[in-house]
Amino acid sequence: MILSELGHFALILSLFFAGMLSVVPMVGSYTNNQRWMGSAPTLAVGMFVFTLIAYAILTYGFVTDDFSLSYVANHSNSLLPLHYKVTAVWGGHEGSFLLWVLMFTLWTLGVALFSQGIPTLMLARVLSVLGLVACGFYLFMLWVSDPFLSLLPFFPVDGQDLNPLLQDFGMIIHPPMLYMGYVGFAVAFSFAIAALLSGKLDSAWARWSRPWALAAWGFLTVGLALGSWWAYYELGWGGWWFWDPSENAALMPWLAGTALIHSLAITEKRKIFKSWTVLLAICAFSLSLLGTFLIRSGVLVSVHTFASDPSRGLFILGMLVVVIGSSLLLYALRASSLKVEGRYGLISREVMLFGNNVLLSVSTLVVLVGTLLPLVHQQLGRGAISVGEPFFNQMFTLLIVPFALLVGIGPLTRWKSQAPAYLLRQMLYAGTIALAAALLLVLPQSHVSYLALLGFFLAFWVLVNTVEEVRLRVGKPFNTGKLTQLSLSHWGMVLGHIGFAILLTGIAMVSNYGVEKDVKLSPGESVELSGYRFAFEGVKGITGPNYRGNQGRIIVYRDNQKITELLPEKRQYNVQKSVMTEAGIDSNLWRDLFVALGEPLGENQWAVRIYYKPLVVWIWLGAAIMALGALCSICDKRYRVRADNKRAADIAHQATPSPALNKG
Amino acid sequence: MFRLLLMFFAFSVLTSFHVLAVEERYPLQTKQQQVWFQELTADLRCPKCQNQNIADSNATVSIDMKRKVHALLLEGKSKQEIVGYMKQRYGDFVYYQPPVNQTTIFLWLIPCLALIIAIWLFFSRRGEKVQSEIVDENVDHIDELLLSMDDDSTHQDNGDQGK
Amino acid sequence: MPTSKIVPLGLFLLLAILLFNGLFSDPAHRDSPFIGREVPTFNLPDLMDREIKYQASTFNNHYTLLNVWGTWCLTCKVELPYLTRLSESGVRIVGLYYEQDSDPMFKSQTLPQVQADVTQTLIQLGNPFEFNIYDEYRDLSFDLGVTGAPESFLIDPNGVIVAHHVGDINDRVWQSVFAPHFLTNTSNRGD
Repeated sequence: MILSELGHFALILSLFFAGMLSVVPMVGSYTNNQRWMGSAPTLAVGMFVFTLIAYAILTYGFVTDDFSLSYVANHSNSLLPLHYKVTAVWGGHEGSFLLWVLMFTLWTLGVALFSQGIPTLMLARVLSVLGLVACGFYLFMLWVSDPFLSLLPFFPVDGQDLNPLLQDFGMIIHPPMLYMGYVGFAVAFSFAIAALLSGKLDSAWARWSRPWALAAWGFLTVGLALGSWWAYYELGWGGWWFWDPSENAALMPWLAGTALIHSLAITEKRKIFKSWTVLLAICAFSLSLLGTFLIRSGVLVSVHTFASDPSRGLFILGMLVVVIGSSLLLYALRASSLKVEGRYGLISREVMLFGNNVLLSVSTLVVLVGTLLPLVHQQLGRGAISVGEPFFNQMFTLLIVPFALLVGIGPLTRWKSQAPAYLLRQMLYAGTIALAAALLLVLPQSHVSYLALLGFFLAFWVLVNTVEEVRLRVGKPFNTGKLTQLSLSHWGMVLGHIGFAILLTGIAMVSNYGVEKDVKLSPGESVELSGYRFAFEGVKGITGPNYRGNQGRIIVYRDNQKITELLPEKRQYNVQKSVMTEAGIDSNLWRDLFVALGEPLGENQWAVRIYYKPLVVWIWLGAAIMALGALCSICDKRYRVRADNKRAADIAHQATPSPALNKG
Repeated sequence: MFRLLLMFFAFSVLTSFHVLAVEERYPLQTKQQQVWFQELTADLRCPKCQNQNIADSNATVSIDMKRKVHALLLEGKSKQEIVGYMKQRYGDFVYYQPPVNQTTIFLWLIPCLALIIAIWLFFSRRGEKVQSEIVDENVDHIDELLLSMDDDSTHQDNGDQGK
Repeated sequence: MPTSKIVPLGLFLLLAILLFNGLFSDPAHRDSPFIGREVPTFNLPDLMDREIKYQASTFNNHYTLLNVWGTWCLTCKVELPYLTRLSESGVRIVGLYYEQDSDPMFKSQTLPQVQADVTQTLIQLGNPFEFNIYDEYRDLSFDLGVTGAPESFLIDPNGVIVAHHVGDINDRVWQSVFAPHFLTNTSNRGD
């Protein structure tokens, strides 16, 4: 009982701080009250601290098996190992939303602490917008999604256990990373709103919000990669992406975020596409919120939706309408006054980046339409349809070709204007190398896959051009010392693009040259796949801390040399009775061997599925390198605006007080 | 010739380890049928599950569907015939590639339109060009300030590449 | 304010309306493609006596509720008492017994075991069925697009399927899905 009330109390205090944060600094910014504006960071700290306390209380409830809390009773069990009790906090709807809000306050805290260089007025408004959004989150928790709901006076002796799918290492880190990315876009969003409010979309706001957008994008990249990796080894069917609505919900803000970080770069350096960049900043966060709605409201059929509840869906939808609707309205009213287009030629870096933005936005649209169209179809009374892998793969294959071509030559193109002759020469040179390399990879394979050839070509195209760009930057004569002269943000771009090439290689290889076999095996039998021999030794019963199951034993040979031993399992968890597949995987940089145990087929015989997956690890490796690129860019010294510059910036801002620009 | 080589290769691999004849779960004669089986089980949706294809689902109905796909392939049915067979029983829902109709056409139409509009907007904007740079004085002021704090070589970009 | 800047807001509001509607519809709901189609041809034995065979013609001349069920299915047991009351009120109900074994080649129960199970369940919870068709290999179920048990089809006197429901039948479901067809039926008879 005491926990439940403490938790509520902490949430109410957080709401109080969020409410103050959304009003006081904002009012201060319009009345030019320095003290009110200056209160924003303190209020942000207060909001964070009490959310952290609420979160700690819920964690304490899990660790001490306090089943009087409804959420704990539904998502934990006394037999659950301790580390899973701690992570079970985000194993269900209410707790994961609390984690989401905790992440949100953490970002707010970050903005409050690391923004010495930003004018007080701007900072006050940014934090105020964040506070306003946070108010919605707290109201949601206190009203329809209470993580501290008490079951007293009648509570169960033991809990219903954590969903076995979530009892896994990947689950410990995947949601926090994903949520960090999701909510991280709120910062760029708030900067955009604050800039719209002041009517000044100078490139300064792009400069200030760029590291935050990069950080959010980096987290989202890691979160997506972890989710894909987790699905790969945990769901037991060897797939790494299924275009499930829950995946699409995270992919949309990622695609919009990718467009945003590029668009911010143009706006920062060339002061153009300003209103477009603002729109992207609004879209990236709006898509995060939309994703939350799609997953938590149950409007779509997906592999993992939280237990749905119409009142929750309605609340989130209301919040979407208020937050997104009002920001788009603000955009419609204000963005028009900001149309300032710089001079640039038809062949220029600007146009390349614009093309990249268009393609990314269209990809986002493809995912959005593909995810929602089944809903429309049904609402029009035309019956249920499925939009899945074949559709998305076909569309993305079409879109990725021009996209990758631009990724390759974009960085080699000059700002403002580029002589076509040089570019053509470079394209010919890179194209030849890429084609030769792709052929070298494809020809030794069992058959020629044109899709794989295309994928490898694009990957090498990006790689060759990126390397060439670095070589040019360093200049002649080449020496490694010069590499350090390039700015960190430049290296960020290089890593991002190379990561993309690696990701593309992995996808092209595993989708076209992966092999699978579905066999019936009895002990002593073995099966041949891609030069490996899988010898089935049989199945034995096993007992875990909270499950029982069967474990198969398969020894893998290559050239009669034993390579590894795979132990795929089928588990039945004691409390929820669901059956889980734990695949046996041997992984290295070049290939994964993946074995999943199927069902028993009588007399010692088992259905076994065996996969050979070349370069599958490159998919996640590529994503990791892309995220590393984001990290590099954030660390660039030009984002560490020194405090003594702030006064100057403040003065500059005050020289053009905001009302003056409202006339537009 | 190439096929002969392949067969020889396959034969040598198979014989080199005295492998027992292992029974495939869904044995099929031709390469084409095997490809179709993989494609069909990947692209047919389990009608009972949340969102899974029949290859990955262990629901009774998915296993029945897999057996049916297999049986129909053995009867010599084509991929399209089998998709039709399944749709007749479970509706369009059962296939992950949506049919083309007045509603689903928007799946392709909306992205195409967006692309066309973006390109059109781009060129029309470029046409009316640079009425700007006057509105922007204030903005430029702060930008210059920022750039002065900035020791990145943004504006001397791109070295000697144009030459 | 140029109109182009309003476009995002307009699109978003459209999206919001769509999502609002979506909140009040069941995403898992699917209409059976069989409504308005004849029952597929089949030739299957009686669950209790393999000598007796049934064909699609068994559905002629009556309104029949075809109920797909199995003793292994808990929800089916829940609906048995309600179905029994329905049959007592004059509705003809025929069972389609749905085997549970994922691979019919490997049976966990022999036919006599299944029969004993069925007899006991029906004695305990009520027997709404005129007879049970034994769908040993789930062929008819497959041809009817059945995804699991329980599922029910209402077949009109011409052997055409007129209504379909996935999940258990209770009073609410009966009144909304099936009863309307029976009203037209009785009025037709009155003519």
